[in-house]
Amino acid sequence: MSQAMIQARGLTKRYQRGGETLVVLDGLDLEMSEGRFYALMGPSGSGKTTLLNLIGGLDRPDEGSLVVAGEELSGLDGAELAHWRARNIGFVFQGFNLIPVLSAYENVELPLKLTPLSRAERRKHAEYALELVGLKDRMHHRPRQLSGGQEQRVAIARAIATDPRVLLADEPTGDLDRKSADAVLELLGRLNREFHKTILMVTHDPHAAEHAGSVVHLDKGQLGRIEHNQPLAAGAS
Amino acid sequence: MARLVLQNLLRHPLRSLLTVGAVFIGVFLLCLLLSVVTALNAGVDAASSVRLMVQSSVSLFVALPISYQQRIAQVPGVESVVKWQWFGGYYQDQSNFFAQFAVDPEQQLEVYPELEVAPDVKQRFLARRNACIVGEQLLAQFADEWKVGGTIPLIGALFPHPDGPEVAWQFELAGTYRSTSGALDNRTLFFRWDYFEETTDLEEAGVFVLRVAPGADVSRIMAEIDGLYANGPQKVRTTTEKEFQRQFVTMLGAVPLFVTWIGGGALFAILLACVNTMLMAARQQRHDVGILKALGFTDGAAFRLMLAQSLVLCLLGGLLGVGLGKGTEAAFVTVLGTFFPGYVVTDQTVALGLGTALALGLVAGIVPAWTSARLDVVRALRGT
Repeated sequence: MSQAMIQARGLTKRYQRGGETLVVLDGLDLEMSEGRFYALMGPSGSGKTTLLNLIGGLDRPDEGSLVVAGEELSGLDGAELAHWRARNIGFVFQGFNLIPVLSAYENVELPLKLTPLSRAERRKHAEYALELVGLKDRMHHRPRQLSGGQEQRVAIARAIATDPRVLLADEPTGDLDRKSADAVLELLGRLNREFHKTILMVTHDPHAAEHAGSVVHLDKGQLGRIEHNQPLAAGAS
Repeated sequence: MARLVLQNLLRHPLRSLLTVGAVFIGVFLLCLLLSVVTALNAGVDAASSVRLMVQSSVSLFVALPISYQQRIAQVPGVESVVKWQWFGGYYQDQSNFFAQFAVDPEQQLEVYPELEVAPDVKQRFLARRNACIVGEQLLAQFADEWKVGGTIPLIGALFPHPDGPEVAWQFELAGTYRSTSGALDNRTLFFRWDYFEETTDLEEAGVFVLRVAPGADVSRIMAEIDGLYANGPQKVRTTTEKEFQRQFVTMLGAVPLFVTWIGGGALFAILLACVNTMLMAARQQRHDVGILKALGFTDGAAFRLMLAQSLVLCLLGGLLGVGLGKGTEAAFVTVLGTFFPGYVVTDQTVALGLGTALALGLVAGIVPAWTSARLDVVRALRGT
């Protein structure tokens, strides 16, 4: 039976905009199993990215409980949240978000600097991650010397370098052509299948969502229907 | 993180270079100005506690009868008295300025034991009426023209030669002295009083310098000497050497203060430039800091990243400025040593220069660093 990797109860997030209170997430209840690939879909403003940011500890809910990788996030202060994020979460962003002044290798090595690994061990891990995404031969290139697809694969290598339990991908194929997008989706699928990473991917693209095991729909900050492309393990949600 | 600090600085090489350059010039000027002020105060700081100066109570520029010397020497506790007269001549050209004094040769060496003179030089100085001794640095300046045993012709601007204003006084160079104290520099020419007196028939001296016996009551001696001439013919004022030296600094009025204000103003302008640079850097690196935080770097790491950049820029500029200040010390002494005898970039000045650079780095970096630490990750990544 799969354990829940993400559990949200009554999750609420509001923003103040132009003097008005905007409820982005409205008492959301959600449970996601460990080792499963989820696509999160919904119209613009439905709260997808906000939910992703809350799960990744980049933002804090106004109300409700959120347990990710066994940790109740509302109980953590800023520094604790940063340390927890470094251990458990890998981010993949639509705009790649690589540091432009660092090489591909240095970008991938960055999160490893938050671990107690030695320089040699960090090198081993970073090279392995780059090899996994097929870019070891480009490790000394700067981001601007890479194509968009390659940049995103470097970003994925950076996200998995510390071997986090959860990968959060926000529109990872949004800025890519179809061929590069397929390569990235295939890579995410492989990380889920072979390395049992729990993946939550925000997307607008139904084609991209087909790569996920389950598709969770959000609408106006509330949970909509959930579709399963692949069968769930017994007891999983 | 060190690599990221370096790469971020190289991201805008011209901007980094200009900032380093601004700090470099500022710290160099600071070292220069502080050293000038130190040089101006060198005489005061190095003044002896066993030497007293007797001058006219009216002004330093009013001379005293030389007959005073004998009575002053008889005051209990006074060991030795030497007459000094400013000569104010020049060598070949008025731009060749250096100090010259007519002094009693034997008493001069008694009153100023820190004036190191080789025995053969002393012998020549005491034996020849027109002999003179010059400081080592002064001889080094005219090494190609002056030789020991040769003559130094000086045009007497204040005391023209009796044979005519264009006729030079001829001084025979007995050798050099080395002053081991800041009370006297190594760029002065001392010649014999008897030669001066016989040529000018002058019976007045600018000041009397006296050395008191160890343990003597200095206040009593000063009061007693002043009392000798309380009723004239020419009233005197006896001061400690420190007080006497301070008069010269005081004559410059607010110059040291003015110099300090200029230095302070320049540094403040540079501080504003550094703050501007770091604020721009922080704005441009906002997104990167957001990425770092998303990866798990703490607010403290973001703070250190930005502060380190500011410190590297300012300390690099500071090191270069202090290095140039120290490196040009000898050249400065050669060119302007006559006006600023005792010019030296002290360890204290070096420390102050580097400390100022460090302070600039901290002050310029603190606000951008604080902004980076407080940066909201979501907004930074969204670019809002």
